[in-house]
Amino acid sequence: MSQKQYWKGLDELNNPDAYNSLAENEFKEELPFDLNDNLLAATTPRRDFLKFLGFSTVAATLVAGCEMPVRKVVPYAIKPEDITPGVPNYYASTFVDGGDYCAVVIKTRDGRPIKLEGNELSSITKGGTTARVQASVLNLYDKARIRHPYSGGAEATFATIDGEISAALAGKPGYLVTCSIMSPTVKDVIGKFLTKFPNIKHVVYDAISYSAMLMANEACYGKRVLPTYHFDKAQTIVSLDADFLGTWLSPVEFSKGYSKGRKVSAKNLKLSSHFHIEPMQTITGAAADQRATCRPSEMGAIAAALHEAVVKGTQPSLSSPKLNEVVTKAAKALNGAKGAGLVVCGTNDVNIQTIVNSINDHIEANGATVNWVSTNNCRQGVDSEMVAFVDAMNAGQVGSVLLHGVNPAYDYFDAKKFVEGLSKVALTVSFAERMDETAQKCKYVVPDHHFLESWGDAEPKPNYFSLMQPGIAPLFKTRAFADSLLTWAAAGTTYGDLWKQFWMTKLGSQENFDKALQNGVIEPTGDMPNGKEAFKGNVDEAIAKATAKKSAGGTELVIYQKIALGHGGPWSNNPWLQEMADPITRTTWDNYVCVSPKRAKELDAELTGFTEVDTKKRVVNVKGTNGYSVKLPVIVVPGMSNDVVAIAVGYGRDKKVGMAAASDDATGLGGRNAYPFMTYDGASFQSYTTATVEKTAEKFDVAVIQTHSSYEGRPVIHEYTLEEFSKDPKVLLKDRGKEITEFATLPWMEGTEGADNAVDSTIEEGYRKNGTLYPNYPYEGIKWGMSIDLNSCTGCGACIIGCQAENNVSVVGKDHVLKAHEMHWIRIDRYFSGKAEEPDTIQTIFQPMLCQHCDNAPCENVCPVSATNHSSEGLNQMAYNRCIGTKYCANNCPYKVRHFNWMDWNGADCFEDNQYEDYRRDGLNDDLTRMVLNPDVTVRSRGVMEKCSFCVQRLQEAKLYAKKEDRPMKDGEARTACQMACPTDAIVFGNMNDQASEIHKLRRQEQAERTFYVLEHIHVLPNVNYLARIRNTEEIVAGDEKKDNIFSDHI
Amino acid sequence: MHLKYESFVREPLVDGNKNYHQVSEDIISPIEQKPGRMWYIGFFFSLVLLSYGVFSVCWAVYWGLGTWGVNRTIGWGWDITNFVWWIGIGHAGTLISAILLLFRQGWRTGVNRAAEAMTIFAVMCAGQFPIWHMGRVWDAFYVLPLPNSRGPLWPNFDSPLLWDVFAISTYFTVSLLFWYSGLIPDFATIRDRAHTKLRKALYGLASFGWTGTAKSWQRMEMLALVLAGLSTPLVLSVHTIVSFDFATSVIPGWHTTIFPPYFVAGAVFSGFAMVNTLLVITRKILHLEEYITIGHLEAMNKIIVLTGSIVGVAYLTELFMSWYSQSWGEQAAFKWRIMGPYWWSYWAMMTCNVVSPQLFWIKKLRRNIPFTFIMSIVVNIGMWFERFVIIVTSTYRDWIPGSWAYYSPTWTEVGFYLGTFGLFFTCYFLFAKYFPVVAVHEIKFVLKTSGDNYKREMAKIDAMPLEAFAHEYVNSHEEHEEHHEAVAHHS
Repeated sequence: MSQKQYWKGLDELNNPDAYNSLAENEFKEELPFDLNDNLLAATTPRRDFLKFLGFSTVAATLVAGCEMPVRKVVPYAIKPEDITPGVPNYYASTFVDGGDYCAVVIKTRDGRPIKLEGNELSSITKGGTTARVQASVLNLYDKARIRHPYSGGAEATFATIDGEISAALAGKPGYLVTCSIMSPTVKDVIGKFLTKFPNIKHVVYDAISYSAMLMANEACYGKRVLPTYHFDKAQTIVSLDADFLGTWLSPVEFSKGYSKGRKVSAKNLKLSSHFHIEPMQTITGAAADQRATCRPSEMGAIAAALHEAVVKGTQPSLSSPKLNEVVTKAAKALNGAKGAGLVVCGTNDVNIQTIVNSINDHIEANGATVNWVSTNNCRQGVDSEMVAFVDAMNAGQVGSVLLHGVNPAYDYFDAKKFVEGLSKVALTVSFAERMDETAQKCKYVVPDHHFLESWGDAEPKPNYFSLMQPGIAPLFKTRAFADSLLTWAAAGTTYGDLWKQFWMTKLGSQENFDKALQNGVIEPTGDMPNGKEAFKGNVDEAIAKATAKKSAGGTELVIYQKIALGHGGPWSNNPWLQEMADPITRTTWDNYVCVSPKRAKELDAELTGFTEVDTKKRVVNVKGTNGYSVKLPVIVVPGMSNDVVAIAVGYGRDKKVGMAAASDDATGLGGRNAYPFMTYDGASFQSYTTATVEKTAEKFDVAVIQTHSSYEGRPVIHEYTLEEFSKDPKVLLKDRGKEITEFATLPWMEGTEGADNAVDSTIEEGYRKNGTLYPNYPYEGIKWGMSIDLNSCTGCGACIIGCQAENNVSVVGKDHVLKAHEMHWIRIDRYFSGKAEEPDTIQTIFQPMLCQHCDNAPCENVCPVSATNHSSEGLNQMAYNRCIGTKYCANNCPYKVRHFNWMDWNGADCFEDNQYEDYRRDGLNDDLTRMVLNPDVTVRSRGVMEKCSFCVQRLQEAKLYAKKEDRPMKDGEARTACQMACPTDAIVFGNMNDQASEIHKLRRQEQAERTFYVLEHIHVLPNVNYLARIRNTEEIVAGDEKKDNIFSDHI
Repeated sequence: MHLKYESFVREPLVDGNKNYHQVSEDIISPIEQKPGRMWYIGFFFSLVLLSYGVFSVCWAVYWGLGTWGVNRTIGWGWDITNFVWWIGIGHAGTLISAILLLFRQGWRTGVNRAAEAMTIFAVMCAGQFPIWHMGRVWDAFYVLPLPNSRGPLWPNFDSPLLWDVFAISTYFTVSLLFWYSGLIPDFATIRDRAHTKLRKALYGLASFGWTGTAKSWQRMEMLALVLAGLSTPLVLSVHTIVSFDFATSVIPGWHTTIFPPYFVAGAVFSGFAMVNTLLVITRKILHLEEYITIGHLEAMNKIIVLTGSIVGVAYLTELFMSWYSQSWGEQAAFKWRIMGPYWWSYWAMMTCNVVSPQLFWIKKLRRNIPFTFIMSIVVNIGMWFERFVIIVTSTYRDWIPGSWAYYSPTWTEVGFYLGTFGLFFTCYFLFAKYFPVVAVHEIKFVLKTSGDNYKREMAKIDAMPLEAFAHEYVNSHEEHEEHHEAVAHHS
């Protein structure tokens, strides 16, 4: 083809030179600037001056103002088939952490897991979660994770270390030490490995041990297993120091079951009765109807007394009248609820567990509430085997040690001995995900995947399976633990193939396999098989032995797990969990010594209205019988036994575990390890010891979120005894009536005189309309509402972390918690009532508090720029871009649920390099950690107010799906993060205008008698209601000055 | 009749033997001389304070308000306490210049210029707080009802904070105009006396070419009256609107209808105390004892005891209402205010504001300068605590006990407050150096009625028998004129 020339006009054709010279010049006419050296003397200086001025100002503004930080993104060159940007994908999977189990659904956005929800198809966890499950997604992006294998402290490749290790494994006796393993395939792999290396022995070690239960069950029933406890079937629950709603065995499962028996209503007045005896205050104790405190060493005597009272009707003669009373009542109730009673005990003592088994057998719980057919695989560790292993190491008999999921250098009772023993072992291998205290001491570190990167499975109960599928490809050079074993055993297969084959064989077809993977769980249909086992324990001997153990007197120290951090492990380095206030102490970041108010007085740490606001807490020195001592600040906990002090584990970690876990080196007082206080009694680890507590002159800042512990008898909370409520189900409605009925009608309207003033929906409506001068806004269409049941709420905090993960809520660090700058959109207020110095009188209640989305929101009218305003669906919403941060709204919020971005927590600020740094929360702004952020929710910048939005992004999504399908939104399609995280279904959310919705039915019919609004009388018209607490007990002490001196003492 | 007569019951407003020239000399010569050592020292320290304040504010703006101690429960602390405190102080000037002008209180002439200057500087200081307490101060202009390209997006006219913006900016503008219009003839006097070219030029510019014609004087008087009429309601409205920040809320301790009058009384109270603090020093340093007399100070002390008693009654009314309302929130709020961890602030307020000013019922103390000075400081401390008590001790223990908290300021907040003192005194020192601190033309206006020497001259006439007086002053009109002028010039 010839190069054909086209001309664009006659000019170009006729006069190309002139045309070209013109075309070269972009501006055909001269610019109207007089480029004279002497500008002011030019022909039109003034105008040009202004032009220049205008141009340069605009240019400078544009250049300066338009510069945005450069962010690099990697686009999908080829879009994966199943990933649509902006649309989340969900994968069913399984959360495991040692023996902790939860069936989950992973929400991934653009290929990265950002949130976990409970898998509702599981008949074990039923969609519930814990704070740790919710927070585990942050661990995936933890900066402190090991990124490649190590050999002798240096980076190595799998190829080199595989050769070295497999060569060294054979020969001398070795040990494979693991946490409890629920996975059938991993067990299979271990079996293969042990076959290949018969010189290696498998030891299961649980830092928090249930060994005594396993041994007692073996003795009583011939099975070394744990039974399944059906709290939902139990009418009478007696717990001897088992924190089954918080940390004991399988809290999600138990919370789900337990809450079923606690949902009382005026139409169904059945309420389970819960007796609780414990040395310290736990959330399970807070939920109990009857509670007594004891020394931990007394538990044998108590269990024996309960046994005798149940079996023979003997009057107990224990150390306190309240103990006798509770034991007597419990025994009576247990005998009265044959087949519907349940006794659980958290003490790691074979004899006591034997006694408990005998009681359960006697009250016909065996086979009813205690299930011996579908048993519980959560814990399998036997303490004596671990002790024997450590002894063997020290004796120099061990040639190799492989450690998976355990960290004895930190959490073994005699860690020093373990470390000494380990140093005598030639081949030491750790599969740790992070450089924990044990991994640091091992020659080889072969990092395992995070569970969100792993294929796997779990069998929490026989024939109840749960599949684990990854939400993301491994981020680092890590390898599955099972793969390492298979490689070293030269099994010729990978774990992936083995796993797939195992399940294909079991499920029969690809179709079944796909379905199982999609559902996440494989379970038999119908009710969970239940059955009893013949009791053949020697209870007399157990009673004799248990009662022979006498308390040494003095102070006893209890080592306990916090709900947030649990046994420690990876959780110590999770800033979300570190900043989650403990439900009981409401304290963050560090550990401390819990003492009773009476004891605090003796230690010069008395809690009064004046001292409660002081962040500096008295430091004491606690010394155990084994000589180990720690200096820690004191936190006063009403409801603790006066003879007991308590310290949580999970703190005092090594810096290499991560920045968040590292305790405060500067003062030497931050967190301290409490595991070394544990003892071994020859059969099992004991989490209590006698100790001395000495006052020191020092004080230390402790970041407590809630300073005041009494609700002052205010109608912020309503509590009634079951008797009061049964006698007059309208008792709450009448109390509410006192506050609002007089405003429900206008003076010239028909009054409500003569009526009993009980609030009903007409009065509520009248109050809405007539309690104000302003016109009433009719909410047509959707009207969102939430209900929170104070009976079901156990204070566990899963909602707090669920919300934090969903809504990108910032962590502020200890220094800012000290200044009350924390950001949680939902908090759980905890109130004590009773006599501070008499722990047995203490009643505890939790109240989740979040934005109440008031229809007459006091925050909205005071905002000078309308940054916070009301939606037509009743949402109180924030326009972050509009907010200028006057904080007036926060001041005027009666619930104090609005949170200000005091610092640049996230790097979302327009100032550069001014991010708030606090070495323990620094990792949060790392590019890796930021992968956890939910792209649907704005990351707020410094200087703006934020608060609960009712997860508006989820509500919008639900509405859009319904709209796309051209149908009205169904109830339950829009659910908030806190609601989904809750293991007790305490939170109900939905559209109040939908008559068929759960929230409507609950508020207007089923629970109308228990419904109340906090601060209803100030006519802010909240859209969140609470359901009054109904206690199955004799009296409510709160607010009664005679019975509640937390109320009158705490000025 | 041209005889200027004022009762002898009223003490002279200008002491000593003054004539017009002497007045100009006394007040204007400090401007023409190099300032004294004390001025330099004071000015230096003011600048240091100001710089520290600027640094503190920059620190807070750069790093964030997390450098302050305010928190999720107590959203306003020293910032708004100081704002209300400074705004309160800024009330005295306009009250003196406007309300006292309308009520024809001659004694205001000695103090009004300094008081008005104080008002303007105090409002400038006050204005800093609501601006820099914003989380995103760079977006502060969102509060202005500017036409914008964000759609029909306007500020929220329901918000008392927005009313504040209007109230304070209006007040500042009117006060500034009022003050400046009064300064014009005095600037002209300085210009006319000037020996240096620069001074002549600058003061000439500042005096807008004032010629002192009768028409000019008449217009100035008219303007003064109009502005006085405008600012009189402003004196009442500004603090009323500031009080709405609290009164319209739902927080017990804030939600009170008594706030508007109580705030205004408190503002006048603290404003007068601040005027006293400044004048006691100014009259001493600039040797103006004859213009700012003990009589002036006493008059102000009387107002202090009156307004102090009004706030005292307001405090007691609040207590009564909290009991009488039978509202648990209200009762508890006052219980915690008096007996909670912040008890000391309540009792500091009560002592300083209610108890101590009662000593001013004693005349001797009212006329005692050191005592007046100490009291003026005590009252301002008390009024600071009043604002702290209202703001912090209402929010720290409000409706939900679970959210209760405590608050202590950090160095940045304290620095910000000190910085406003720096700003205030920097302005005041510059004012004292370059501006006539007493209104020269107004003193001249009252000189012949209330000047000591003229009153003494008048004493002779006052002592005359009626017939003689009638003979001399009613019948021989012309003669007297000459006679009187002669006397005046002679003395």
